[in-house]
Amino acid sequence: MASTRDIRRRIKSVKNTRQITKAMELVAASKMKKAQQLALAGRPYAELMSKMLAALADRVEESQHPFLTQRPVKTRGILVITTDKGLAGPLNANVLKLVTEVKTPAKFYAIGRKGAQFLARTKRDMVADFTVSDRAAFSEVKPVVEFMMQQYLDGVIDTIEVIYPRFKNTLVQLPVVRPVLPLKNVQEFVAQAEADVGGAAQPSTDTREMLFEPSATQVLEALLPFYVNRHIYQLVLSAKASEHSARMVAMKTAKDNATKLLSDLTLEYNKARQAGITAEILEIAAAQFAAS
Amino acid sequence: MPLTLEIVTPEAQVYSDTIDTVVIPTVQGEIGILPGHIPLLTQIEDGELRVTKNGQTQLLVIGGGFAEVEGDHVHILAEHAVNEDTIDEAAVEEALRRAEAQLKEAAGLDPNEFEHLQGMVRFAGVQLAIKRRSR
Repeated sequence: MASTRDIRRRIKSVKNTRQITKAMELVAASKMKKAQQLALAGRPYAELMSKMLAALADRVEESQHPFLTQRPVKTRGILVITTDKGLAGPLNANVLKLVTEVKTPAKFYAIGRKGAQFLARTKRDMVADFTVSDRAAFSEVKPVVEFMMQQYLDGVIDTIEVIYPRFKNTLVQLPVVRPVLPLKNVQEFVAQAEADVGGAAQPSTDTREMLFEPSATQVLEALLPFYVNRHIYQLVLSAKASEHSARMVAMKTAKDNATKLLSDLTLEYNKARQAGITAEILEIAAAQFAAS
Repeated sequence: MPLTLEIVTPEAQVYSDTIDTVVIPTVQGEIGILPGHIPLLTQIEDGELRVTKNGQTQLLVIGGGFAEVEGDHVHILAEHAVNEDTIDEAAVEEALRRAEAQLKEAAGLDPNEFEHLQGMVRFAGVQLAIKRRSR
């Protein structure tokens, strides 16, 4: 049996660990609340925009804007959103697993250090990596998106896709590959997503030609980049909410484990202490017996 | 056949109801939408949006975005949207001053941040103008 001093030392270290994980849990919980609020509040906006764009893709001539044209996909452009810091449970691992499943030629862009490190380590074609702070302001995400759109327009990449942990609720975050450009892909995705929820995708009943004010080119020129920016921003928010949720859950588990370990150790310690006392009494009694 | 109007901003869904008509401020002037309108996609400018339902007119101030009319659905994606009744003049003035001060500091720094602040100033100005006029 381990000596009481060894056990005491372990108890101390486990206590420290518990204190740290507890503090981290609380921090993550407060950040999570804010991030979740942001992500959930923005969802109707993003969803309506996707729907609007999907309907639009049907109605306008493909040639009107490069974002609408579907060209043969030689190189996919994939934005990988991960966390900057670890200790978020299986969140990053799940996202990166999706990355390893990409077999076709692709160029990668990363938000978050973990993803950047992974892409560098596995020697994938990473073009750029960005960091976005916890505040996740729109102006932080915009340069990333602008850069990717430029590459798309230059023909360096033929799609824009985002791999990110979609926030479902505090316990569930699903990593998904979400197509952003060209819009034809989005249409399929939206239809599929709606089918998943149960609501059948209703094809638009209105078949009259669409009117653009002031003009088709002008509206599309403004709307499409705006859409890509807003949309990817929403995905970043969702990823942030996932991050803090996953971290909070991971830290809570760690804290619970520490508590359990602590009670086991305390029991062992008491046993060892009691055994020591019993042995001492025995010795004294034996000595007294011998002396008498 | 009534119209369904839906207004969403990045922060929340602001409005969702069936209505009779709506007047939307676009970059080319106001457009009135009645049931049976031809499918339309247009760019919105900061300004007032008038919703009429059962003869009652409601004013909303909206800032920047897009509107889509399809069938009997009107979808509006706006940067901001507030109901005219809920505008607190003092608070808006305060926000306007703050944003203007920040704008002076931010000049020439981050173009994205700058753009965002400019939008805030513009929207606050429009809110004040409409609130004051309606008195």
